[in-house]
Amino acid sequence: MPADSKKSPQPELRRSVTPWGSFSWGYSDVGADIFVGLGLVLAWAAGASNVAFLFAGVVYVCIGLAYTELAATYPVAGGGQYFVMRGLGDIFGFIAGWAVLLDFTIDVTLFAWTSVDYSSQLMPALVNSVHPWLHFGVVLGLVIGLCLLNVIGVRESTTFNGVVSALDVISETCILCFGFLFAFRPQLLIHTMQTHWPSPYELMLGTSLAIISFVGLESISQAAQETQRPASIIPRTSVSLILTILIFALAYSNLALGFQPWHPITDAAGHHLQFWQIFPNNPDNQGKAVALLAAQVPYYGAFAALYVPVLGAILLLISSNSGVFGSSRIAYAMSTSNLLPSIFQRVHRKFRTPMISIVFFSVIAVIELLFAAAPALFPAVSSLYTRFFHGENGLDFLADLYAFGAATSYSFVFLGLIGLRLTDPLSPRKFKIPLNVPMRFRGERVEFPIVAVIGFIGIFSILMFTLFTHPLGRIFGPSWLLLGLLFYLVYRRYRRLPVLGSQPRNWRTAQTEILRRAGELELMDEYVANVKASDARRAGLGT
Amino acid sequence: MLFFRGLLAVAMLLCGLVILVRMAEALPAGRFAIVPGVVLGAAMVALGVHRLSLIARVRGMM
Repeated sequence: MPADSKKSPQPELRRSVTPWGSFSWGYSDVGADIFVGLGLVLAWAAGASNVAFLFAGVVYVCIGLAYTELAATYPVAGGGQYFVMRGLGDIFGFIAGWAVLLDFTIDVTLFAWTSVDYSSQLMPALVNSVHPWLHFGVVLGLVIGLCLLNVIGVRESTTFNGVVSALDVISETCILCFGFLFAFRPQLLIHTMQTHWPSPYELMLGTSLAIISFVGLESISQAAQETQRPASIIPRTSVSLILTILIFALAYSNLALGFQPWHPITDAAGHHLQFWQIFPNNPDNQGKAVALLAAQVPYYGAFAALYVPVLGAILLLISSNSGVFGSSRIAYAMSTSNLLPSIFQRVHRKFRTPMISIVFFSVIAVIELLFAAAPALFPAVSSLYTRFFHGENGLDFLADLYAFGAATSYSFVFLGLIGLRLTDPLSPRKFKIPLNVPMRFRGERVEFPIVAVIGFIGIFSILMFTLFTHPLGRIFGPSWLLLGLLFYLVYRRYRRLPVLGSQPRNWRTAQTEILRRAGELELMDEYVANVKASDARRAGLGT
Repeated sequence: MLFFRGLLAVAMLLCGLVILVRMAEALPAGRFAIVPGVVLGAAMVALGVHRLSLIARVRGMM
């Protein structure tokens, strides 16, 4: 008897997340991204920042719709890797999951880093360029602290997430309302777009960075696992989430380009600058863009300058924590599917948390932090980066890898969605992405998703932009994938599992069980009826 | 709670309308440059209307 079957059954996650809880869960993950992405995109895409966000935003809407359909149809916490594994097979599931794991570990470091950047708006001692060792020490302390909190099992509560998300939505709406009413000059926006249009290289770089403002949709599937009646709730909350995030990203970029600051901004020589011009070649400003913009909004800015850095820092820290938690959960899910060794399933005797998983991925996050902080800490490394990597700084390094991981995993999720539409047409889909072409595949009526193809082309082009324009990303990203793939092949061979193929699994039984656990009994009945009808049809054809 | 959510939805809707009107003013100078702004304004109006309709449905149920 295998050792696994002797164990007591694993406790299930309690399904207690409400619609608002589901929204705020996603929002606290994805909503924080604009705090990081805005400054980076303004620095590179300049007068075309809003176009970069628009392109990435359209791709993001496609990704969001794909995740909504998949999470509502297969409400399990495995997320992208589960959908891809089920649609395309084990090895592709591993690649997608491994890319997501890269993103989660980067998430930990990048968001802890920018959380400190936002704090530096109120505490100048934390400015990276002035006190790099202090900045590094605080970020390292945050990463280690979050790791320990997760090991002993302390997580932010859904209520806390909900309160912070609500405060942030209100705050951002106020900033945008005051900004657009009193400081937005459409003529200035058009003038900026016409006179500061970037080169094609810079536009590609800016677009690849814009996608990091939309990363974190894995949380939709994680919320699905813990939401009662996910097939009904998830589509409703996801559409609101997708629109809200899209609007904030587009609004900030348009506002920043056509923004008349309340107080004039000048450079060292006393020349007047437009608001967006404070970001190129200034990583300190890039890390706290929303706080800088909020402080310049007429009337509201005086108040916003006090709380937006704090709110931003808290939101970013929540997002960083979700990286620690999410990586251990994805590794756990991959381990149960035999994509990773069973050591990642092991839980601490006392705290009942996946300690090995949490510590392993936190160590990787610390290694990434060392790579990111090295140019600021050691002048010799800085000259090395200048010579070989176009002088990319710490924030660029993290953003490069974040964009690479996201683009890779999302590309596979689109392929997984197409694969599942063809191979699993019997699962009831309460939410379907629009624009489908009906056709027949292996004797079944299926609907081919056009939006998934459009989304795949969009995200694949962003992946190509990332590889073309990010000197560090194109080395470290593929290296991470290759290293993981090598490890996967050795592990599968050692366990005598199919190395390139997939383990045989009974997806029909699994799907029935998934729907039963989700409380979607009507959908479960519908699925069982579909399966019976399909089997009867095939038996009829056979005779 | 519903009142505040309604207020946010109205703010979003008004903000979208302001952006649409102001981008329309800039049409002669901007042409294609106004597209991101128009998309933003339209998305804000859509989200505002969507949220208001959800709130109206909930109020109808209460």
